[in-house]
Amino acid sequence: MAGPYNGLRIVDTTGLAGAYATRLFAGLGAEVIRLEPPDGSPLRRLGPFAHNVEPPENSLWWSYLAMGTRSVVIDPQDTDALMQILAEADVVFEDQLPEKSLVPQDEISPTTIRTKILPFGLAGPKRNWSSSNLVAWAASGILYTTGFTNRPPVAPAAPMQLAYHASAASALVGTLLALRSRRITGVAQDVEISMQEVALSIAPETGVPMFMDDRVHRERSGNRRDLGRPFGLYPCKDGFVSIIVLMPRHWAAMAQWVSETTGNESITEEVFVDNAVRVEAKDLIDDWVEELTTQGTRLELFEEGQRRGIPITPVNTIDALVDNPHLEAADFWTTTQLQDATEVTIPGAPFRSSSPWWSMAPAPRLGEHTHIYLN
Amino acid sequence: MTNTEDDLPLNGVRVFELGIAIASPFCGKLMAHFGADVLKIESRMSPDVVRILGSAWLKDRDDLAPISSDTSPYVSEMNASKRSIGLELKTKEGKAAALQLLAECDVFLANFGARALTELGLDYDSVAAVNPDIVYVQLPGFGSDETMPYYPFVAWGPNQAPLVGMDDFTGHADDPPAGIATIAPPDYMSALHAAIATITGLEQRDITGEGVHIDISQFETTLALLGPFVMDYDLTGTVYSRIGNRSMWGAPQGVYPCAGNERWIAISATEAEDWTALRTLLGSAIDLDFDNPSTRLTDQDRLDEQIAAWTSSFEVEDLAYRLQSAGIAAHVVSTNEDLLHDTHVTSRNWYQVAASSRLGRDVFSGCAVKLSATPGRWTAAGPSMGEHTREVLSDVVGLSEEEINNLISAGGAFEQLEPDMVATRPWNDWIHLLVPGTEDARDL
Repeated sequence: MAGPYNGLRIVDTTGLAGAYATRLFAGLGAEVIRLEPPDGSPLRRLGPFAHNVEPPENSLWWSYLAMGTRSVVIDPQDTDALMQILAEADVVFEDQLPEKSLVPQDEISPTTIRTKILPFGLAGPKRNWSSSNLVAWAASGILYTTGFTNRPPVAPAAPMQLAYHASAASALVGTLLALRSRRITGVAQDVEISMQEVALSIAPETGVPMFMDDRVHRERSGNRRDLGRPFGLYPCKDGFVSIIVLMPRHWAAMAQWVSETTGNESITEEVFVDNAVRVEAKDLIDDWVEELTTQGTRLELFEEGQRRGIPITPVNTIDALVDNPHLEAADFWTTTQLQDATEVTIPGAPFRSSSPWWSMAPAPRLGEHTHIYLN
Repeated sequence: MTNTEDDLPLNGVRVFELGIAIASPFCGKLMAHFGADVLKIESRMSPDVVRILGSAWLKDRDDLAPISSDTSPYVSEMNASKRSIGLELKTKEGKAAALQLLAECDVFLANFGARALTELGLDYDSVAAVNPDIVYVQLPGFGSDETMPYYPFVAWGPNQAPLVGMDDFTGHADDPPAGIATIAPPDYMSALHAAIATITGLEQRDITGEGVHIDISQFETTLALLGPFVMDYDLTGTVYSRIGNRSMWGAPQGVYPCAGNERWIAISATEAEDWTALRTLLGSAIDLDFDNPSTRLTDQDRLDEQIAAWTSSFEVEDLAYRLQSAGIAAHVVSTNEDLLHDTHVTSRNWYQVAASSRLGRDVFSGCAVKLSATPGRWTAAGPSMGEHTREVLSDVVGLSEEEINNLISAGGAFEQLEPDMVATRPWNDWIHLLVPGTEDARDL
């Protein structure tokens, strides 16, 4: 409420591409107007849905990503209404090329910042190409290197729509920089995001500078990597844990733990201190480590392994996260209200600030704020 | 880049960065690009991992061992345009110099563990004691509240993604989780949130004069992306998990084989108009009943099989162009070799080249945030370790030459090793292929 963006008016014309940015912006105190066509934002058609709520208010994506924003319904043909809304905008978020955008490109105030989140950017041979979360990862090099050898490659955490959210977060960084620049110089400017470049920026491991250096063609290798042992995912009683052992002290603690728990005396032998030897004998090491991991649950192995100073984490599922003791103690989870007044659990603020910046109202009903802005 | 330094949005902002690997450094590089003076504080006792990695090309070059710490491609990738200051914070002298330097900084940025920062005496209260209006941003794995259960725990890089649910969401539905150990998206998401928090903190400080302490628990930050799945679990008990490359919202979407070994295409055709366009290209390769959208959703196995049979006769680049010409989202599943030849990427100047005191020049990825009027700058590639110790201690802190010499001989600070030793990367000759407008070194 008291954040430094109080008093700024933001207009969001995007769907999934900009939603995470304007959600954060609203959380930090800006007035965010989400322009919706009469049949509602495309976000409202994204499931899962709340069963007790009628469309178009039942999408959980909408209920989460549109939190704190205001809904103004506008007929795309109604240029006067559009200009009325845009006239006092400090920032407009768009996800279309200029020739396809519903925002009149020449009539926008010169003091308005224009943030454009586009599949492949404003210029270049692929400027007209379409994209999606999957396509952005395909164009980054990372999709090719993810998955099991005998299966088609897979996108990282595909349902999370990370390429969109990372693009949105990058767009917000650019927008905040442009606002700072405008406050200092009085001049507004455009922010451009290419989803492909955002995905590339997250994927330097398959990027060209690394490839030029080592000339190694990268292939997918399943859920373990031969950089070290143990390295990757190991099965346990209720799923998997992730163990990354590279450093000698981590190995010493790991070997000790396996030895104490399973009675294995060979694993503490001096020869295995050498990571290269362990990689060479990876099947043997993996078998020994699995004898330990299959005896515990994700949480037991995580807490005991960490107590021993080993880099181990649980492969968390949604239920495990919601029930996680640390997040509960830290009071991380919070709630929002659906349109039928049901309270539902959601993630809390993405960071904690000593200044009271963060607050989030529930997502608006379709057209809930139209009358405030158009009369 | 034509804008002047003075116009950049972070001009005049000085950042004290204690960064390891990615989460802080990625944020610091972004700030340096937009004008901040980012001081990367480095240690020889416990160096940043990018200083240990070295370069593949140097593996057998014992003669160049003294400069190995400057040669990993990650040095520039994560640290371009920063200044490197060698300060040993575990020594009394180094710590004192750090506090003097902090008094002259606007931002404190660190992804050291919370306990490690406290042990160094650089927790928020200690830093605010010398600089009360500092914008203090820390990115510990599990937050900086020492009363919380996982406060002392360590998670980094490849271990973060499984922790926050990403590995469980990665892979085909009936397979074990495929894991995403080749990248660490939580590091980057934390870095972007750190940039958002830092700029917000600077705005607040400029307007109200008050500093701020921002605690970015990497565990919590990335969970903010799981909202709809958490809600669905709370409402219905559904534990959402991996579904391969498919979409939750329509079909077809997937990765399909093309002609040749390990050539794949990604296709998203989830909307009604996408299907109409794809249907025209598929012709008789597809059963007629797929014109019913609900059949496309309920019988995705058969749909994907028929599409895969069709795609496998095409050359992948050719098919990507055909699909995109028809308005369908598609792309080659690019290998790192493909990216080397991706002319769209190079035409947009994604790769940047800048001077390096150690390597002559170096190439690194640009910044995905593009501003039209203040497009940023790269003053240099990644710094050599300790390259700027003397100039920063002199110009920023105001130490005399004698004081600096004493600090170095006491082990509190260090300078660049072998400043005259330079080496050129073997691929220096090929930079012109990546960076339009760069001279072909063979013609120089």
